[in-house]
Amino acid sequence: MAILNKSFEEELILVREELCFEKEEKGKLFAELIVARNELFFQKDERGKRAAELGIANIELAFQKEEKGKRAAELGIANIELAFEDGEKEKRAVELGIANIELDFQNDEKEKRAAELSIANIELVFQNEEKEKRAAELGIANIELIFQNNEKEKRAAELGIANIELAFQNDEKEKRAAELGVANKELVFQNNEKEKRAAELIIANRELTFQNGEKEKRAAELIIANKELAFQNGEKEKRAEELVLVNTELLAFNYISSHDLQEPLRKIQTLAGRILEKETQNLSDTGKDYFHRIQSAAGRMRQLIEDLLVYSRTNIAERKFEKINLNTIIEEVKAELKENIEEKHAIIEATEMCEMNLIPFQFRQLMHNLIRNALKFSSPKRPPYILIKSRIVKGNKLNNAKLMHTKSYCHISVTDNGIGFEPEYKDRIFEVFQKLHNREEYEGTGIGLAIVKKIVENHNGIVTATSQLNKGATFDIYIPVTEN
Amino acid sequence: MAANEVLVLLADDDIDDCHLFKEVLEELPLSTRLTIVNNGDQLMKLLLKNTSQLPHVLFLDVNMPRKNGFQCLTEIKLSDKLKAIPVILYSTSSEQDVTDRLYQNGAQHFIRKPSDFLQFKRVIHYSLTLIMQETNLKRTKNNFILTGENDFINSETI
Repeated sequence: MAILNKSFEEELILVREELCFEKEEKGKLFAELIVARNELFFQKDERGKRAAELGIANIELAFQKEEKGKRAAELGIANIELAFEDGEKEKRAVELGIANIELDFQNDEKEKRAAELSIANIELVFQNEEKEKRAAELGIANIELIFQNNEKEKRAAELGIANIELAFQNDEKEKRAAELGVANKELVFQNNEKEKRAAELIIANRELTFQNGEKEKRAAELIIANKELAFQNGEKEKRAEELVLVNTELLAFNYISSHDLQEPLRKIQTLAGRILEKETQNLSDTGKDYFHRIQSAAGRMRQLIEDLLVYSRTNIAERKFEKINLNTIIEEVKAELKENIEEKHAIIEATEMCEMNLIPFQFRQLMHNLIRNALKFSSPKRPPYILIKSRIVKGNKLNNAKLMHTKSYCHISVTDNGIGFEPEYKDRIFEVFQKLHNREEYEGTGIGLAIVKKIVENHNGIVTATSQLNKGATFDIYIPVTEN
Repeated sequence: MAANEVLVLLADDDIDDCHLFKEVLEELPLSTRLTIVNNGDQLMKLLLKNTSQLPHVLFLDVNMPRKNGFQCLTEIKLSDKLKAIPVILYSTSSEQDVTDRLYQNGAQHFIRKPSDFLQFKRVIHYSLTLIMQETNLKRTKNNFILTGENDFINSETI
């Protein structure tokens, strides 16, 4: 505040000085006014002079009186004018005075303005200080800017390199663009192809739809066919059930009929034998002979009935397969034929017997018939030797068209050293009632081998016979191996 | 037991076979008394009658009308009164499954009806001998079926 006061004082001093100056100026102005007035007065003097001159000039103005009069008039006007102007001047002076008042007022105003100016100056100084600060900052900023400019130049240098790179890239881009252009042409071509494929697909789809329609028709037909099949199966099952019933009846019929047929024959034999025994004395030789023949005939018929029974039973019987060792069956058959074997001093050899799935009761009958035949048709010159072998072999190793190449078979062979038979009968001997000898040579019903064949067929196999006269015979049986 | 009569009961529907059986017994060196019935019903009625004397042995035909041998055998072996009687079944056929079943049902022996009279005689003689010998009547499978084919009476005659 002290500073302020000081400055105010200074200001005031200044202002006062200013005022003084102004007053001086006013004074000057007054002086000038006075001078002006003086001037005016001088002017007036001058006018007087002029008037004098005028007077001088009156002479001149004699003729110019009029003129002068005019002029005087004019002058008068001019004087009026002048007076008017004086008046005006006085007005002016008044105005001047007013102006001076105004000027005072103005000076007051100026003083106010000066005060304001001083304030403004202070402000200005402050501003200048600020400006200097700004300038200082600007200086720093400029240094910074210079640094930035250096950086920019570095960047610019880099940009230059970058631009070269960019130019290179652009070249590459143009190459790519060229390639793209080629690729696009390719794409267009592909699209054309696709459209062709699409057209073909549409045709294919139509075809497919049509096919589906056909399939549905087939499916509908299949359903009908299946219903038909189911019905057929139902019918088959009924037939199968009927067949089972018929078979059961046949079995019963078989047994009963054979038993009832055998019974009278047995009686004939027994009673004929009784007669031979009791009436020996009363019978002639011929009579005895006839009764012997009756017995023999009855015996043959019984044998025939029994063999027929066995044969038909192998047809009808239930095929119950069991896993069984061949050795077991052969031992059982040897026991059944014990007396016959001992009587003929026969040797039966069984080697490498395998275990198989068989119908035991039927297979026993089969081996019984084969061994019995081997004993029956043995040669009187040598004791019978029967060799039974078995092995597992694949169908393709065997030379038989009826055997499947990929299946495994159990091959059983029964070989004897008996009288054999001619090869041309190798198939006939398996037929029912086919015999190669008459009754006197070898007894038999001619069904034995037919039964053997039937049993082999029941096991889904085949049987063959090979022989040469007096060189024995071999019976080969092939049964497919099954896993149960 | 030799002094006593062997009471033999025969059940068979075949008249000829009954006649032959009678002749066989007459020719055997055994003292026997034969009673004959012709079907199963008659047999059971006779056996179950309180007044009748039980036979020492029953020869039973398998195939008879009305009640057959199988049924009679089963009934006899179920009856406390009758189960001790040795029953010998006989028939024209000798299939294994039939004989197996008869053995299982308690038959003492099985005889296949022979066609030779002498053989018939032998087998009846043998069977009667066995019956009289077997005091506790043990049954064995290997002596179940009698055939009379072998002549062994000489060694077994009492």
